[in-house]
This record gives sequence, C-alpha cells and structure tokens, in this order.
Amino acid sequence: MADGVAAAIIIGSTLQDSGEKYRMLLDSIRDYAIFLLDLDGVVTSWNAGAERIKGYTAAEIVGQRYSRFFTDDDIREGRPAEILRLTAATGRHEEQGIRVRKDGSQFRASLTFTALRDSAGELQGFAELSHDLSERTASEARYRGLLEAAPDAMVVVNQAGEIVLLNVQAEQQFGYRRDELIGQQVTNIIPVGFAERIISDGTRTAAEALAQEIGTGIELVALRNDGSEFPIEIMLSPLDTAEGRLVTAAIRDISVRKAAELTLAQSIESLSRSNEELEQFAYVASHDLQEPLRMVSSYTQLLGRRYAGQLDSDADEFISYAVDGAARMQRLIQDLLSYSRVGTKAQDMVTASSEAALERALHDLRGAIEESGAQVTHDALPDVLADERQLAQLFQNLIGNGIKYQSGNVPEIHISVADESSDMCIFSVRDNGIGIDAQYSKKIFGMFQRLHGRDEYAGTGIGLAICKKIVERHGGTISVDSQPGQGSTFSFALPRSERNS
Amino acid sequence: MTQTQAPGMAIQVLLVEDSPGDVRLTQEALREANLAVKLHVAADGVEAMSFLRREGLHADAPRPDLILLDLNLPRMDGREVLAHIKADASLKTIPTIILTTSEAEADIVKSYQLQANSYLSKPVQLDQFENLVRSINDFWLTKAKLPHQGTSA
Repeated sequence: MADGVAAAIIIGSTLQDSGEKYRMLLDSIRDYAIFLLDLDGVVTSWNAGAERIKGYTAAEIVGQRYSRFFTDDDIREGRPAEILRLTAATGRHEEQGIRVRKDGSQFRASLTFTALRDSAGELQGFAELSHDLSERTASEARYRGLLEAAPDAMVVVNQAGEIVLLNVQAEQQFGYRRDELIGQQVTNIIPVGFAERIISDGTRTAAEALAQEIGTGIELVALRNDGSEFPIEIMLSPLDTAEGRLVTAAIRDISVRKAAELTLAQSIESLSRSNEELEQFAYVASHDLQEPLRMVSSYTQLLGRRYAGQLDSDADEFISYAVDGAARMQRLIQDLLSYSRVGTKAQDMVTASSEAALERALHDLRGAIEESGAQVTHDALPDVLADERQLAQLFQNLIGNGIKYQSGNVPEIHISVADESSDMCIFSVRDNGIGIDAQYSKKIFGMFQRLHGRDEYAGTGIGLAICKKIVERHGGTISVDSQPGQGSTFSFALPRSERNS
Repeated sequence: MTQTQAPGMAIQVLLVEDSPGDVRLTQEALREANLAVKLHVAADGVEAMSFLRREGLHADAPRPDLILLDLNLPRMDGREVLAHIKADASLKTIPTIILTTSEAEADIVKSYQLQANSYLSKPVQLDQFENLVRSINDFWLTKAKLPHQGTSA
C-alpha cells in the first residue's frame, strides 16, 4: 500500500514545482483522499480520491473549512483545530476516526496529517491523507470465510498484540463470544510466549518469518474464559495489510495428544522401572540364596565324605540325593545370576572383535573341549557392535551345548558368518549333536525349558534363554535350524560395526 | 570364643566371622589339611578389636600371625575393623585377608583402599573352600616372610 509519508512528500514537491504532472499523479490515486489545508484548516487542493471517498468535487470544497468532515461531537470537542495543532507541533499526526461524507453518512477512516514548511522552515499549511477503512470489508469478508473454514481455532493479532479477527473454533476453544475478544490483548487467552513472539518477529520481513515459521508448531499454554488452562500448539503466519503486519495464528488444542504422550511416557517409565526392579530382585535373591545353600551343600558333602559306609545304605542314599540336589540348586542359582547379569551388568556396545570373543569362549571351555576331544573350527569373523563379554558368553553357551548334547559322536562345531544385510551380520554355530525336533525350536529359548531328563543331560534350562536375552539386547534375533539326529545350527544376527562397512 | 587346639608350634590365626557354620567349616578344612594352626574366633568387629587390643577377657590373647576377616558382621562391620587395624601402628603389619561371600566390585575396591592384604570370596563348593584354606596357609603362613613382632609363637 502507499505509505502516508511518501504521499505527503509528493504533495510537498507540488508546492515548489506546481507542475501539472504532479496534479495528474495525485488525481490518479483513487484509493486515498489527498488534500491540502492552509494554516486555518481551509481546503486548498483536492484529488480525485478525495472526491470519490468524501463526495465533494474540488469546486465545491476548495475554500471551505475541513471541519465539515468531522462529526458534531468531534467539532464540539475542538478536534479539527486540535489535530492541526498536534501536527504543527510534531510535524506529523496519525489517527483513526469517524468522518462524515457530503451526503451525511459516516465512515471509519485512517488519517495521516503532515505539516508543510517552506525552505525557510516556515509553516505553510497541512496535507491530509486518508483512507476509508470500511472499504476493506470485502477482502476481509473473504479472509473471514477462509478462517471459518479452517479446522483449527484461528486468531489474527496485530503488532500491538490485539486480537483483530477470530473464527468460531476459537470462540469455542477459549469459551468467549467473538465481541468479547476483538480488540483484547492476546495475552488474555495465551498468557506467555505468543505476544513476545510477535514483538520479536516484528523486526523481520514476512519472507524471513515465513521461512522460519511455517510448519513449525510452537507449544504453549492457553487460558479459557473459565480460567482453566490447556496445552496448545500454534502455527504463525504473517500477513501484511493496510494496518501493518498482522499475524494469523492457527491454534490446535493438543490436550488429548499431551495426555496420550504423558500416559505413554509413564507406562514406559513404570515398565522399565519394574523391569529393573525385577532384574535387581533376581540378582539379589539369587545371591542371597547362595549363602544358606552353601551351608547345606558343604555340610551334606562333609557328611557324605566322613560317614560314607558307616551308616546304613539308606543313609548313604539319602545323603547322595541331598548332595545332588544342593549341587543342582547351586548351578541353577549360578545360571539365574548369569541371566540377570545380562541386564544388570551390561556394558556399552562398542566395536568388538567377534573372533576375540570366540577365543575367550574357547578358553573358558577348554576343560570340556579336552575331555570330549571336540573339534571347533571357524571362518574369519568380523567386528561387530557388541558387549564383548556377553558375545563371549553367547559363543560359550552355544558351543557348550554342541559339546554336551551328543550321543557318541566326537563333537564337531563350526562357526561361520554370512552377510545378509548391510547392517547386520548373521553368525551360525553348527554342531553334529543329537539335534532338536522342529516343534521345540521356539520353546528351547524360554526360561527353564528342558527337553531331556536329568539323567540324560545335566542342565538348568537357562543357557539358551541367556543367549536369547543377549542377542535381543543387541537388537538381533536368534533361531535354530535342526532335525533329530542331524545336528543343529544356531543362527543369530548382530549389528555390524561401522568400521567394517 | 572358640579355640581349636593344634599341636606344637601353632600359628595363631584370628577368624572374624559371625556364621557358626562358616567357623566350623574353616575348622574342618584346617583339620582335614592337617595344619598346625591355632584358630581364634571373634563373632563380630567389636570382639575382634577387643581381642587384638587385649582388652577385658582377652588380656592374655596372643598377637595373631594372620587375620581372616568377613565384611558383613554385627555391631562393627569388617570395613571398620580393617580401618582400625590399618590405623594402629602395632597391628597394621598383621596380614589381614578379607574372606567374604560378596563379589561386589565396590567391596573389593573399598577393601584394598583400606589396605587389605588380599580379598578372597568364599567358594560355594566344599573342596574349593578346603583348597582355599590350604592356599592361605601355604602362602601367608609358609612362603611369605613377615616381620616378627609382639608375642607371636
């Protein structure tokens, strides 16, 4: 839009040049009334815009006092003279006010007065530039239609932080009638964050503001008429108008989303807390159970050793069951401790050599390997993202199973690796043992799951559960491919270390 | 106070342990290994300090050649006992070995910070426990050279 000051400068130029071309220029401006006043407020010049807006021809009005444009109330209060005095004092005066047309009808106008001085600085008269604000109604109606169609509450705010427009969704959301909010400070409904935003954005261009704000929701707290608060997300878009920069805010009530987020966060927290407590409990319980068990176990062993053959054969048998039971319980507690340690004694995932982890496992298994004569071979193994100690335990459990679950064969175990995807390595541990019926291929990874009697193969049924827990902690999966009598191949996926790729 | 008689030039060992089962196990392990050790037992930290300082009933107590100290004890726990021993010029040269069920890293670190001479956890198996007692005897009471002081042997 034309700037009032710029227009006044043009008028100022006409004083000196008096050129016909400037009059033509002024007459071409039809949206604004532009006219000159002498020191007494008598009209001395009149453009086509003034004629259109106020209804007087130049011939009718030049030579008349400009006070006739004012309402009776304004005249009684001395507004016409007051405005000229203010303009003379400050050089420039702006206001909005009610003005009267030739036909007596009134309209709301925005007005700019400029004092005109000659080259010596002597006050020569005044220029008035005014605009009929009611003419905006048509475009405003179109904009209002758009606002009402929006699914969100929409509030339009000016640079002073006053609400100038809002839609029905905003009325409902905040619990006000429209006329209760128009002209009010936006801080009444959004106490913190919004007004500050307008001020800080005021110095930026619309393009800058657009580039930064569109699509970025700002989460704030809003206040209803009844005083209750609710969380909102607002999206701002600047709009340059005749009244300066306006900001249109789309306001979305996010109470439901917030509540859902909170519930989710609380569930996650309580789940992870109960999980932690459970692991802690398992650890402490199994550790503390060891103490009394050590007594039972040690003294039944002492009894057995010192009194074997001195009591009757029943006594020897009873003692041997007690010793055996205590020993099994000790293994069970040891395995439970190992299982809970996967969670509680976990170390960070780092680039780890799976080959080093395998060496460590084989070192810990050296007794069983020597005793059984097992042949353990492996391909070149890659670096992975892992807790190396847990990876070693994983190898140890799987290879240990391959050695244990045999029926007469010399154990042969081979560890290989396949790259099935860019970010995971698939490890396979293949043995020539007794194999597993396909119907049990999932069950065996559960806690305390055993497929054999204790007199066939010793064990607590926790080893593969530990394997599963370790692999899952690493974001992978574990499975078995096997048939009875055909050996088993356990496969698990681990995240590849970036160093390899 | 329980005392186990051992023949000849007995080596004096103070066992600070509140579990009678563990005391007896230690006695049995020493007996099975045929070691010439005289075992003195204090059931808590206060009694242990009273024994070491020869207070009251312990006026005639010998100066031990070795202390086996449990960590979790009533009245005064093993960490405090260890701190007192190592702060006492006349006691701090006695080798003090922590013998406990705890495998907690924090306990191990704390014990060595308090200048424990070694930290051993009680094995769960009887034969391992017997081996441990023999090892202690073999290293600390046979191989290691220790300063002679006070009334030992």
